[in-house]
Amino acid sequence: MATLRINGTDREFPENTLPATLLDLLTILQIDQATVVAEIDGAIIERKNFTATPLHTGQSIELVRFVGGG
Amino acid sequence: MEDTLTIADRSFTSRLFIGTGKYASNRIMAESIRASGSEMVTVALRRVDIENENDDMICAIDRDRCVLLPNTSGARDAAEAVRLARLARAAGGIHWIKLEVTPDPYYLLPDGTETLKAAQQLVADGFVVLPYINADPILAKKLQDIGTATVMPLASPIGSNQGLKTRAAIEIIIEQAVVPVVVDAGLGSPSHAAEAMEMGADAVLVNTAIATAQDPVAMARAFKLAVEAGRMAFNAGQATRQKTASASSPLTGFLRKE
Repeated sequence: MATLRINGTDREFPENTLPATLLDLLTILQIDQATVVAEIDGAIIERKNFTATPLHTGQSIELVRFVGGG
Repeated sequence: MEDTLTIADRSFTSRLFIGTGKYASNRIMAESIRASGSEMVTVALRRVDIENENDDMICAIDRDRCVLLPNTSGARDAAEAVRLARLARAAGGIHWIKLEVTPDPYYLLPDGTETLKAAQQLVADGFVVLPYINADPILAKKLQDIGTATVMPLASPIGSNQGLKTRAAIEIIIEQAVVPVVVDAGLGSPSHAAEAMEMGADAVLVNTAIATAQDPVAMARAFKLAVEAGRMAFNAGQATRQKTASASSPLTGFLRKE
């Protein structure tokens, strides 16, 4: 099993099904990449680099977006 | 001459900024923003709810008319605020940030020490920083000295609708300010907003009072008119307040025997 910690919750992926890149992960989670910003192990990943960012087991990923606020 | 407000390198015709939280729907939010005439609205940054994908609220905002001002709400110290500001910049390509550091969940009062620390880092990092602060004239001065684009003293606790509880301190802040003073938080009715503008505030920021009104669109328009009226009154120069009466009608020619 490979594991990614996504927004504070562990997700397990059977062997060889770990999404290859951040963009692949967003596609699997059905999240519109145009509205999201990501942080992997504390480092911000710019949207233009989503396809070029490989994922590895054990990483902690934060996916955030704008919401209403004052 | 048009009475525009300039913050950093941007000019605003409207002196009313709107928060986008607490609206019943994106449609009502969008209509309220339009009715308010606002040209800058605040947004927050939160984790994507992976199980329940919601509509993207940003699409509902007319960004040709209105620029986004991301906030650092939820930050409890300087480090968290700086992290949120950098994420917001990556998310929206926006280098403007409403800096708020509120470790106390009950009154949501801002932590001045951490706010100053975060502001120093963010200014050095090229952000246009609009810090939300308690109505503390010394802190306001320190912040403008390190290069924040505004100071945003609170009228009363966020979302409390209590109005200008900090009036005396805000008067001092306005007197000393070399950057625009935006009165933020606690303005519960249009008369509160008008009062802040009459005092010489450069702008006000309103969220809860509009978003949770029975008719938010009508309330947004009421705030628009109040802010315009308050500003106009400030520019007009108010008459002097005095303790005793001063007759408006002539004190001669009365129809009585004397």
